[in-house]
Amino acid sequence: MLSLYLLQIVNGLGLGMIYFLIAVGLTIIFGLLNFVNFAHGAFFLLGSYLCYTAVSLTGNFWLALLVAPLLVAALAWVVERVLIQRIYHLPHTFQILVTLGIALIIQEASVIIWGPVGKSVAVPAALRGVVVIGNFVYPHYRIFLIAFSALIALALWLLLERTRFGALVRAGSESTETVSLLGTNIFRLFSVTFALGVGLAGMAGVLFAPLRGAQPFVGPEILGVAFVVVVIGGMGSFGGALVGGLLVGVVQSVMTTLWPQGASLMIYGAMAAVILIRPYGLFGRA
Amino acid sequence: MAEQLSQTQPLPFAKTQSRGMLYLVIAVLVGLPLVLPSATLACEILIFAMAALACNLLLGYTGLLSFGQGIFFGAGAYCAALAMIHLQLGLFSALLCAAGAGGLLALVVGALAIRRTGIYFVMLTLAFSQMAYFVAYTLSGWTGGDNGLLDVPRPEISLAGHTLVSLADSRHFYAFVAVLFLLIFMAARRVIASPFGSTLMAIRENETRAAAIGYDTRHFKILVFVLSGAVTGIAGALYAMLLHFVPLSNIDLQMSENILIMTIVGGTGSLFGSLLGAGSIVLLGDFLSDLWPRWLMLLGVILILVVVFMRGGLWGGLAALGKRLGHRDKAVAAAKEEVL
Amino acid sequence: MQRRSLLKAGLVAGGLCSLPLAVRQAFAADPFTFYGLKSMSGAFASYGKYADMGSRLAVKEQGELLGRPLNYKVIDTEGNAGKAVRKVQEAIQQDGARFFQGCTLSSSALAVAKEVDKAGGVFMTPVGADEVTGKDCNAATFRWSVPTYGAIRETMVPLIKRLPEAKRWYTITPQYVFGEALLENAKQVCKEHGLEHVGNSYHSLQEQEFSGYLTNALAAQPDVLVLLNFGSQSSNALRQAVNFGIKERMKVLLVWSAGLDQFQELGSDVLEGVYLGAQYWHQVDTPMNRELVAATKAAYGINPNYPLAADYISTKVMLQAIVKTGSFDGPTVAKALQGLSYEGPTGSESIRAGDHQVIKDYYLLLGKAASERKDDDDLATVVSAGKSFPEVAATGCSLA
Repeated sequence: MLSLYLLQIVNGLGLGMIYFLIAVGLTIIFGLLNFVNFAHGAFFLLGSYLCYTAVSLTGNFWLALLVAPLLVAALAWVVERVLIQRIYHLPHTFQILVTLGIALIIQEASVIIWGPVGKSVAVPAALRGVVVIGNFVYPHYRIFLIAFSALIALALWLLLERTRFGALVRAGSESTETVSLLGTNIFRLFSVTFALGVGLAGMAGVLFAPLRGAQPFVGPEILGVAFVVVVIGGMGSFGGALVGGLLVGVVQSVMTTLWPQGASLMIYGAMAAVILIRPYGLFGRA
Repeated sequence: MAEQLSQTQPLPFAKTQSRGMLYLVIAVLVGLPLVLPSATLACEILIFAMAALACNLLLGYTGLLSFGQGIFFGAGAYCAALAMIHLQLGLFSALLCAAGAGGLLALVVGALAIRRTGIYFVMLTLAFSQMAYFVAYTLSGWTGGDNGLLDVPRPEISLAGHTLVSLADSRHFYAFVAVLFLLIFMAARRVIASPFGSTLMAIRENETRAAAIGYDTRHFKILVFVLSGAVTGIAGALYAMLLHFVPLSNIDLQMSENILIMTIVGGTGSLFGSLLGAGSIVLLGDFLSDLWPRWLMLLGVILILVVVFMRGGLWGGLAALGKRLGHRDKAVAAAKEEVL
Repeated sequence: MQRRSLLKAGLVAGGLCSLPLAVRQAFAADPFTFYGLKSMSGAFASYGKYADMGSRLAVKEQGELLGRPLNYKVIDTEGNAGKAVRKVQEAIQQDGARFFQGCTLSSSALAVAKEVDKAGGVFMTPVGADEVTGKDCNAATFRWSVPTYGAIRETMVPLIKRLPEAKRWYTITPQYVFGEALLENAKQVCKEHGLEHVGNSYHSLQEQEFSGYLTNALAAQPDVLVLLNFGSQSSNALRQAVNFGIKERMKVLLVWSAGLDQFQELGSDVLEGVYLGAQYWHQVDTPMNRELVAATKAAYGINPNYPLAADYISTKVMLQAIVKTGSFDGPTVAKALQGLSYEGPTGSESIRAGDHQVIKDYYLLLGKAASERKDDDDLATVVSAGKSFPEVAATGCSLA
């Protein structure tokens, strides 16, 4: 029994890394732009569909992993310039409404382009197979996901902590006015950051595609998970997204053995508990 | 900081209502079943208008964006249905039960949620909404789970055991719902016009200042939550009676989203907006779904257009139109005077 | 000024509101209208699209109905039971609608069945909930698909015979009322055949992440993993199971598959060696199925899948019953449907009088390897087919 729980914890960490990838884009966007992006799940699903198309055209998953997130980021950049820029100053209510609209448009467009039935993406050949640990198995692909997400987390951390761009993003999260007064084109910073955040969601979509296929109606569920992770970790906090993601992943995984019916309840219960106990999440600030 | 920016353009001001508004509402209530193809459709519109009105009490008047309205809607529906099925309660007792259930849950949700503000408040209501959904499908012995609760009666209006009016005909039921809506609308107007209402709006404008003046903002927020929950619960109960059925979808997140969409699209600036919002969203959905299966895309476009061009919702749009026509009339009259 | 502009606004609003009225009046004339309840938009659009195609095909084949032009109107349930019921109520009250076919969700079908029964109409549906021909059965409602009892028995029992060594069975069950029903039947079968039900994992209604449950299953070391979920949950459970190498360690049975469109989505890599339960399979060789495949290919260029076939045959049976009785009266047609036998896509089918359940085959299929496929849709072979239904007395249905 102990080994079962141990494996669930490992599985949970794996899940958690993916949840981190989904959530970190959302938290960066909120941190700098104070923007609530209810279309995050929709861009995720767009990433998984673009992955499917790329793989069916070229047969190469790695190419898809490179190209699809970039395409999603490019689309996000356009959407930001055309629409999102106009509504930064609006209260969260309107941001939610607009991004809900965008999510609906993306969802229905996916059905028009790829049909209402989902699509499958095969696990890349190099990563098929499992690691055998006693009675248990763990897929190579999921191990790859943990490693790759950790790599992305590291890359993001370096980006945020060690580059000028990252410094601008962090400074802008504290005070956009000051950053703009110091000479930065704040609008360009916003566009790039939005594209980056959404591109990460698209990348998460690509990585998830071999696990869950590409589905048009999966947006709300992904959005829910993303918000739970971000809120638990603290909105705008990179470290929070990481810890929050891991926490949610482990809780969900352990619950499947402890109390399977309650797995999704626990996630939202955890979110409510964290907000009530720590107002800004685990690592958030005012 | 970005957060300060957002306070320079808050949601459209909700103001106290004029007498003309009341006449307009009555006109709409009378005209709706005549203009629409069916009384059932008109009932659904009024029911959601009631829910949107309750949501607006929170959003437009107190500045609270709640993703939890589905909780009270569903709870009201379940409570009324169970009361009628198992306890054989009549029409008004069932509605009272629903209001009680909605109000009680709103008390709990509100008391917990208002401990936080801004996006964290919103997320709390979202979390509670998901938890309520979970409870509803888990207690399938009571709620019917994903099958829903079937055979919900539509009791007649009776007094001391004698049937006065049967509500089986959808037109009769519409009349009942319309009267109920009118009463709730008038009560809401009273509340808004009262000192309590003014305090709510003060809290919406600047909660710190309201607290500094000496108001216990917590109490006010909880109270408006309870009111909103009770009215939403009644709406849910009426929906159950309309459909003879309580689907699980009454309590899911999408219901909360729909109610919010109706509230905002209708216009948060006025209670009348709830009628406009519910009417337009329900009719639009019906009309578009007959034409194109991918009509949700058009709904998405409409949501974006409303926010970008018509933030006051349909009510704001009409009010602006009215003002423009008013200016044009003045200009015409002035021009006429000049000529004469 | 205030009043005038308000009046103008009111007229505009009224004008906008009357648009649906104009649309509906177009259907109020002499032709007879048959109503299809399809989830064209919303989360179940994939089902609704094919279901609609099936009904349309049957309507087109019928042409005229007792001298009246035959119209077909789709009611988009939007995958929402509340909307479905309200729209059905409207159609009944405003347009005199009496004949309905379809529904994707059991909750929609159960509630619609009550409304249609009250109005004295006829409703035929393919949904799976036992209650449709069980405790919520009524004189107006008929069901084409095989419910949980048959689905379990026509998949597990043949599989037990095929795998005599498989004694340990593990189930993964969704927390639906429907899921519970499947589980109860599965447990019963295990008991009857002396099998060990080594464990069960429930999961919630929206679960898409099955790694935890698959890990639970692995820990129990079963011989067969039985998936009692359906739709996208079953697709993901299967995908992830294959990813976990479950196929190398045990046999997998998906009791309630969606048939061809789900198989097309999953592909041979996932399906090879997996046992699949299905309501319909396009390769089954019966006279009516051959016709249906030909007609579907001609009209739509595809092979028929389950939603298409189910709604096609249900629509056809209803229309033919109207022709046979020469009447458009609901109760008369309903009576004619009771005990009716006809040629359906699964072979000879009949409608049991006691509970209005269609008695038909349920299939156990085996997923094929990519190399064995003769064409794109040749994704599985039929291993077994049969009819299993509980006694009318056991269903809880009492049709007086």
